[in-house]
Amino acid sequence: MKRLSFLLVALFSVSGCVSSRIEQSREATTGITSEEAMVLLGRASYNEKQTEDSFTDCIAQALNQGSNPIRLIPQEKFKDDLYPWFEPRTAPTSADELGRLFAQPGVKNQIDTAKVRYLAWIDGDTVKIDSGGSMSCTISSFGGGCFGMSYWEEDASYEASIWDLQSMTSTGQISADATGTSYIAGLIVPIPILARPGNAACKGLANQLREFITGES
Amino acid sequence: MIRVWLAVLVLLLQACTTSVVVEGTVPTPLVSKIPARIGVYYSDEFRNFRYREVIQDAGTWNIDLGSQNLTFFRHLMGSLFRGVQEVHEPPLTRDEMTELDGVIIPRIEKYGFLTPRISGLKFYSASIEYRIALYDKAGKKVGDWNIIGYGKSEGGMFSTEEAINEATVLAIRDGGARIAIELIDQPAVRDWINRLESIEPKPGLNATKQTDISVDEEEDQS
Repeated sequence: MKRLSFLLVALFSVSGCVSSRIEQSREATTGITSEEAMVLLGRASYNEKQTEDSFTDCIAQALNQGSNPIRLIPQEKFKDDLYPWFEPRTAPTSADELGRLFAQPGVKNQIDTAKVRYLAWIDGDTVKIDSGGSMSCTISSFGGGCFGMSYWEEDASYEASIWDLQSMTSTGQISADATGTSYIAGLIVPIPILARPGNAACKGLANQLREFITGES
Repeated sequence: MIRVWLAVLVLLLQACTTSVVVEGTVPTPLVSKIPARIGVYYSDEFRNFRYREVIQDAGTWNIDLGSQNLTFFRHLMGSLFRGVQEVHEPPLTRDEMTELDGVIIPRIEKYGFLTPRISGLKFYSASIEYRIALYDKAGKKVGDWNIIGYGKSEGGMFSTEEAINEATVLAIRDGGARIAIELIDQPAVRDWINRLESIEPKPGLNATKQTDISVDEEEDQS
């Protein structure tokens, strides 16, 4: 019984394989003081895609932790304070539009007061790209169980575009791409072996973003 | 026995009804004020707007967005104009218009929402169509505009009620953002402001003369 429990725990703790790739393109030197802050904003457009809040929350959490945390302004507060200029259909789409935006009354003052130095736009999502296999579960008066195997492959593709609000320029882009296949094997009980490409992309992007902002990379 | 059956029936009906009272943050727009004193008429329908839809296999939906929408518009109008006063249903008398340069009437033309089950997407989405009518001091229509706001919310993070609430709040915000940014850029509104500015500096101009301003342009822009 003890051995079976151990086997089940071991199977449940196995996670699927994820392969990830992080790429960076720098256009200008960066650096941030302890007083300065950064804002992470998820790109939202009115089609079928939108950067998940959970992804930007994951990056924010990663950047807030560690020995060298970056001060972050929550995106809801930033959007409220600068309403209506950072709504999905009114937000600037390139750093070239910052000059026009900062000419609006109160906008530059609001950003200066909050000491926001960098703005990182997070764009992308996680999608299922393949699935297959089959699994059936039955239950009867003699007992029940699941037999078979199914799998699905997910691709998490995100890009962070970093703007320096002091110089009103784009400082670079970081992209993270992760792919992973999850499985559910039915051996009387269903045993999931889950890959989390979104989580891998989040961690990779957050680490690279921290190094990029602090000027370490 | 009948009472028991009635109670069961009421419980069953309640179980098939989803009610949402829309609540959310109300940001204050960071825009230049239009140099005009405006009267705003909020109809009872606008103040208490409720949407009801019966969806096959998804039950009855009751969405109450009147209160959130009214609070949002009060903030919006207060930020957009130099002076704002809530007024009764037009027409207003000359005396009532003495301290006003015009009247705005916002209306909700349409509201709708989609669940992931209906749209096949990962999101709950909502849209709201406003019709904003602006009248000058003499009561002539300066123009009216249809503005549509969209909002969507992730289904996975929230319960259905919370996701519809979130999508509706975002749709109101989106519509409000377009009103805040685009209303002042409408040619008819620009002309109206120019006429006001050309009158303002003249000392001793009485209310009767101000009502003589003729408005030739009547714009209907969707």
